[in-house]
Amino acid sequence: MKKILIPLAMVVVLALVPFIGVQYLGMSYLFGVIIPYAAVALFVAGFFYRMVDWLGRPVPYNITSTCGQEQSLEWIKQDSIESPSKPWHAAVRVLMEVFLFRSLFRNNKAELRKGPDLVYGSAKWLWLGGLVFHWSLLVIVLRHARFFFVMTPGFADSLEQMDSFFDITLPAFYLTDALVLSAITFLFVRRVTDAKMRIISLPTDYFPLFLLGGIVGAGVLMRYIAKVDVMPVKDQMLRLMSFSFEPPGEIGTLFYVHLFLVCVLLLYFPFSKLVHMGAIFLSPTRTMLNNSREKMHVNPWRKPMRIRTYGEYEDDYREKMKKAKLPIEKE
Amino acid sequence: MTLIKKIVLTAAGLLIMAFAGIYAFRYEESSAEKPAAAAGAADSSACIASKEYMKANHMRVLGEWRHSSVREGNRVHVAPDGRKIEKSMNTCLNCHSSNRMFCFNCHMYANVKPNCWNCHISPMEAP
Repeated sequence: MKKILIPLAMVVVLALVPFIGVQYLGMSYLFGVIIPYAAVALFVAGFFYRMVDWLGRPVPYNITSTCGQEQSLEWIKQDSIESPSKPWHAAVRVLMEVFLFRSLFRNNKAELRKGPDLVYGSAKWLWLGGLVFHWSLLVIVLRHARFFFVMTPGFADSLEQMDSFFDITLPAFYLTDALVLSAITFLFVRRVTDAKMRIISLPTDYFPLFLLGGIVGAGVLMRYIAKVDVMPVKDQMLRLMSFSFEPPGEIGTLFYVHLFLVCVLLLYFPFSKLVHMGAIFLSPTRTMLNNSREKMHVNPWRKPMRIRTYGEYEDDYREKMKKAKLPIEKE
Repeated sequence: MTLIKKIVLTAAGLLIMAFAGIYAFRYEESSAEKPAAAAGAADSSACIASKEYMKANHMRVLGEWRHSSVREGNRVHVAPDGRKIEKSMNTCLNCHSSNRMFCFNCHMYANVKPNCWNCHISPMEAP
């Protein structure tokens, strides 16, 4: 229970910080200018550091994970996606992982039913929930482009049109808002309802869920319920985009809650499990090729070995070998 | 046996459909009130709410007006100060169409595309 309540309390406190700061102490400059810049700078630096660090790590063995026929004789059909032997095979595999969560599609569950019977079955709900969650977040982030550019980029515009397709409520309701909230709820309920999941879940599993829930909640409130004038918001975002340090205009406090939680997310990103966003592209089990029969994989740790040949051995012991009447190759 | 059953089921279904259809039309005829006549000349002497409120909430006012005037036939808006105002786009435009870009300046800036002009003539298109 503590594992859930502590991250929840943290998110609540984090949401209260900008609320009190802006509403009662008038620190809109701190929360509207300084913290966003600092958060983005730390995000970029932290992400860069992580990627460079991981790229530089040696991979001693060829550890491709495979579950298909590797490249072999001509008449044996290779499963090029499951057992990649060419760079583009691996690229396709990584991209399918990124866009479709291919390996999660094979997710299984094991259940103990009545006594000793262990039952295995397919479990696709996590795959579906995760897919909805990640795609919604992507669409939501791209949709926000309208705040960051004077002219909204075309793709963001058409995404927004599709997202508000049903045109219910005023302002038009975004489908992804509902989808992401239900996905967050599902991912949370999934961890709570199953005893096995409860045991392996950590505060760091709950915190990002609550944090994203807080961000989405503040955004949804701002759009549909406790309205915030959007003009000074866009002014401020354009100012941030042009690296200006002018103070923000008169903006509703809820906006600062939203923005501050996003800043916390940015800051948290490179130093937590969320960095899987970049790590998926560096994961050796996914990006390496299963071609260890064609090419020797050299362990970068391997030190050059000094080899002592038989000739050298014989040179050292020739006289002694002669005395012992052992056969020698060179006189 | 099965044929008779099928015929009976089909007939029952058709009957239910017919009743439902007749009932729906009857209901609509009896309950639909004639849209109320206009509440009089649009009073546009002052805005219905403060500038700050309207900046963030105008779409709500318009959405509420659209619903209550079209669906419920109530075309009179009572402002907090007791003034009675006609729920009409013209009430707004009597003042705000003096600047043809009044709506579009901000909506284009924030890339918001309201569906008002799907039916109404926008100030930009007005002669």
